[in-house]
Amino acid sequence: MSNAPSLAARPAASLHRFANPGRFLRLSGRLLPWLAASAGLVLAVGLPWALWFSPPDWQQGETVRIMYLHVPMAWLAMGGYAGLAVASAMALVWRHPLADLAARELSPVGAAVTALCLATGSLWGKPMWGTWWVWDARLTSVLVLFFLWLGHAALVRAFDDPERGARMGAILALVGALNLPVVKFSVEWWNTLHQPASLTRVNAPALHVDILYPLLTCAVGFTLAFAAVVLLRVRAAVMERRIRALQMAAARRAETDG
Amino acid sequence: MTRKRKRLYLLLLCGLGLGSATALVLTAFQDNLVFFRSPSDVMREAPGPQRAFRLGGLVEAGSLTRSTEAGRPLARFVVTDGAAKVPVAFGGVLPDLFREGQGVVTLGKLGPDGVFQASEVLARHDETYMPPDVADALKRSGHWNPSQGAAPPASSWNTLQPGRGGG
Amino acid sequence: MSLHWWHVAISYALVLGGFAALTGTAALRHAQARRVLARLETRKRA
Repeated sequence: MSNAPSLAARPAASLHRFANPGRFLRLSGRLLPWLAASAGLVLAVGLPWALWFSPPDWQQGETVRIMYLHVPMAWLAMGGYAGLAVASAMALVWRHPLADLAARELSPVGAAVTALCLATGSLWGKPMWGTWWVWDARLTSVLVLFFLWLGHAALVRAFDDPERGARMGAILALVGALNLPVVKFSVEWWNTLHQPASLTRVNAPALHVDILYPLLTCAVGFTLAFAAVVLLRVRAAVMERRIRALQMAAARRAETDG
Repeated sequence: MTRKRKRLYLLLLCGLGLGSATALVLTAFQDNLVFFRSPSDVMREAPGPQRAFRLGGLVEAGSLTRSTEAGRPLARFVVTDGAAKVPVAFGGVLPDLFREGQGVVTLGKLGPDGVFQASEVLARHDETYMPPDVADALKRSGHWNPSQGAAPPASSWNTLQPGRGGG
Repeated sequence: MSLHWWHVAISYALVLGGFAALTGTAALRHAQARRVLARLETRKRA
């Protein structure tokens, strides 16, 4: 672990305080139960609200309930990717040791939520639009986002030298970040089958409050759950790295002793 | 200049280059990224009679007629974008959301008689969501007729209490 | 159950199942790592 004191005056110095694995494990261990409990609590309110207690839509009927899953998954797919890009930039520029690990553990979870976004979108599109899938700009750019997540997850694990894999993955993640504005604005730049965003301005959403509030609750709940899962994975990865170091040291000792 | 600073500038420079390259490519392929053509596009530049393309717009109010021809349901309607209109014929089952005033995207070919022969009709819903009672209240009060166009701005109804009715 | 409810039900099953699987595998991996690490560190100190 490089927690050299000479870094103290650099802009990222405050972030490097968390680079110490012991400190990270201690702090995240304290945070995790709260994160998990609040995720469970918010989802325990949000999901029944979305599934039973919210009204149907005037034209989509009960099928609108898929939105309460599809939209949070889409937000997480994009927000998570923005997080991946930030972690990658930190890893490339400041060589933050935890940033590589976080990026590595983030991408499988991001790929999973993007897959869920595509699957729920398909299940929503069939009864509403009349098709499971079309190659319009929004759907295609989200499919590209899914492949970027998968590609990152595969690439960082493809090298024998984990540092080299992390470097390649970070470059892929940053290049792929160009896709984010394309996903976001595809419904405005080009005509698509997908409808434009409903939540454009905070004060004038195109959703009735009875539909908006359960949506926001579900979004907060899934975001907390996403964060808890990623944190759990990063903690596991930090401990696994420590285990490897200890085992290697033990093997070396056995060699010199023997 | 420290190495960290150098790496940061290098990264920003690469981002700038890649970003402008992507923007140029997307602008260049603008026409191919369009999922459907509007009636105005078709009027301006009609694709050849044998070329399949997608036509999108709103179903004009009062234009829908349904009949049965040789045992198959046949729907005729007019797709409009306000400026231009194209008549469409479609034999098959329309999606649930299909109605007058609704957005649609149809796939097919323009016949010699100027009627678009559609082989597929997809419904395109807009980004407004509201409970049925709120929609009813808006319709009853005359603030909105779904077959004439989009719902009024949400700020006028998103605090409307269902059941109590508005206006 | 109508077709629309089927689509809704499958969506909820997919998302909840997906998140349960993600949480479950992460928790198992975390517990395993913690166990091994505790064993190694006590051995080192001994």
